[in-house]
Amino acid sequence: MHLTLLSFRSLTRRKVRTTLCLLGIALAVTVILSVGTTTMMYTAALREMNTFFQGEVVVVPRGSLFIQALPIGGLLPEQIVEEVEGVEDVKEAVPILVLVNLLLMEGGGEIGLSPLVPMNITYGIADGRWKPLVGSTPLKAEMWPIPNLSEDEVILGRYLAERNNLTVGSEIKIREYPLKIIGILETSSGFLTRLIIMPLEMAQKVYGYHMLINMIVVKPEEGTSEEELADSIESEVQGVRALTTEARGELTEPVFRDVELWNLGLRTTLYLISIVLVATVTTINISERRKELATLDAIGAPKGFILRMVTTEGALIGLLGGLVGILIGSIVSVLLVSRYAIVPVTTIFRDLLNIVQPRIALEILASTVAVSVAASALPTLLALRTNIIEALRSEH
Amino acid sequence: MIVKTINLTRIYRVGSSEIRALRGVNLGLEEGTFTTILGPSGSGKSTLLHLIGLLDHPTSGKILFRGRDASLLNDRERRRLRLTSIGFIFQTFNLLSTLTILENVELPMALAGINPSEQRRKTVRLLEEVGLGDRLHHRPSELSVGEMQRVAVARALANSPTLLIADEPTGELDSRTGQEVLDLLSRFCREEGVTVLVASHDERVMKISDRAYRLLDGVLQG
Repeated sequence: MHLTLLSFRSLTRRKVRTTLCLLGIALAVTVILSVGTTTMMYTAALREMNTFFQGEVVVVPRGSLFIQALPIGGLLPEQIVEEVEGVEDVKEAVPILVLVNLLLMEGGGEIGLSPLVPMNITYGIADGRWKPLVGSTPLKAEMWPIPNLSEDEVILGRYLAERNNLTVGSEIKIREYPLKIIGILETSSGFLTRLIIMPLEMAQKVYGYHMLINMIVVKPEEGTSEEELADSIESEVQGVRALTTEARGELTEPVFRDVELWNLGLRTTLYLISIVLVATVTTINISERRKELATLDAIGAPKGFILRMVTTEGALIGLLGGLVGILIGSIVSVLLVSRYAIVPVTTIFRDLLNIVQPRIALEILASTVAVSVAASALPTLLALRTNIIEALRSEH
Repeated sequence: MIVKTINLTRIYRVGSSEIRALRGVNLGLEEGTFTTILGPSGSGKSTLLHLIGLLDHPTSGKILFRGRDASLLNDRERRRLRLTSIGFIFQTFNLLSTLTILENVELPMALAGINPSEQRRKTVRLLEEVGLGDRLHHRPSELSVGEMQRVAVARALANSPTLLIADEPTGELDSRTGQEVLDLLSRFCREEGVTVLVASHDERVMKISDRAYRLLDGVLQG
C-alpha cells in the first residue's frame, strides 16, 4: 500500500474535517493574497506617477503643490512660457493645463468619480509636444508622434475608453463640446490610462481657463544640471517655483515610505495570523487522530513512516487549500484593485497576472505548504512521544 | 522459550501516589503453546501483555525475547519486532477506520516491505480463513463487533508473527462470537505453530490453553 494512497484515503474518508481544513487554509491565503496585492498595487501605482518628467524641471505657480505629476492650486498666464524659454540653458518648455476629477460626458450621460483616485485627468498640452508626458507608449490606431491634433480631437487612456465602451472614432462630449477620439493609449500605467489628452487651446476653451496654464515642463540643454536650471528659472521668472526630479520626489517619498511601512506591518500581521490559523487547523486535525497514530505505532510502523504519512496529508491539504485560496484571492484582489486602486481592471483575466504576480502567488503557496507540513509534523512528533497505551485509550 | 520475564514490575505514578500494577512477575512462554492469563479486571493482565508486546517499558525486571534483553533494544528495534514478530489483538480492535478491511490487513505487510502481490494473496487467504472472504472491501464501521475482532486477528497474523498476544479478545463479544474467535486463535496455534498469549477473565479460554496462570493484584500465581 503506497504511502500517498494512505494519506489521500485518510483525507477523502474524513470529508468534513478535510473540507474545514481546506476552507481554513483557503481563507487565510485569500486574505494574505488579496490584502497584500491590493496594497502593493496601490502603492506601486501611486509611486509610478512620480516617475513622469524624469530629468526635466517642472515649473508651477509659487505657493502651489506638485504631487505625483499633478499640480495642485494656482494658475500661470500662458505668456510666462516665453519668459521661461528665454532663460539660458532651456532647451524646450512645454505648457500644460492639468485638470483633475472632471466628469466625462458621454452621449449626454455623466460618469461619476472613482472612490479613491481621479476618475479622469485632462491634460491640455501644446500641439505635437507629447513626448515628455507619454514617452513611447503605444497608441491604438496611430503611432507616436501623431500629427498635431486638430482642435476637436482627443486621445484617451485605455481605462477610460474601455470603461465607457469608446473606441477610435467614437465621439464624446465634454461640457457640451463634441470631441472625436483619434487614439487610445495602450498602457497599463495607472496614470496614463486615465488621461484625456487634448490640445491646450481646446482644454482652455472647454474648461474656461482662457490663456491659463498650471505647469510647464522644461527640458535642460545638454550638460546643464536640473538644479542649475531650476535656480536660474526661479531667479529670472517671477511668481514660479521650479522643481527638479529630486525635489519632486522629496515631497512624496516620506509619505510613500510611511505607507509602505504600514503596508509591510499589515501584511506581516496578516501573515502571522494566517500561520496561526493554518497551524491551529492542522494541529487540531492531528490531535483528533491520536488513537490512529497510536495504532500505527502499536503495530510497529516506523516513526518516519507515520511522520511522512501525516506530513504528506499536511502538504496535500496545504497545496489544495493554497490553490483554492490563490484562486479566490486572485479574484478578490482584482475586484479590490479595480475598486480602490488606480490600476484599471476591465477584464479580470487579462489583468490578472499584472495584479497577482505569479512569483508572489508561488511564494504564498510554498509557504502555506511549508506551514501545513510543519504544523502537521510538530504535533505528530509530540503524539509519538506519548505512551502508546495511553493514546490507544483516548477517545480519538 | 520464546519469551521469559524476570521479576517484572510496573509501577504507575499518578500525582504523588503509586499504583503497583505488576509485582515481580516471572513467566515463560514455550514456542507454539497457548497460554492464558486469567484474572479480574484491574489485576494487571493488560499491563503484563503490553510489556511483553513491547508497547510499554517495565519499571524494573527484564523481558527476554528469544533470549535477548528487550530493555537493550532501541526504539527502532522494538518497532521492528512489533511489526514482524509480535501480533497484538486489542480488546477494542483498533482498526483504522479510513481503510477497508483488506487494507487494514495489508498495512503491516506493506510496512514490512512485502511485495504488493504477495500482500494481496496472503491478505485474501487470511480473511478467508477468518470467514470474511466476501467482505474484503468493507470498512470496519460496516462490520459487526465479532467481524471486527476477526479482522484484528487477521491483521495480527499478517506478518506471520512468532508470538500472538490477545488482550481480552472476547471482552466485547457475545458468547457464540467469542467462542468463534477463541477457536480461531486455537487453530492458528495448533496448525501454524504460533505462540499465543491471551489475557481474559473468560473461563472458557482455559479449556483450549496449554498453560493458564492467574494474576491477582499484580502477582502471578501458577
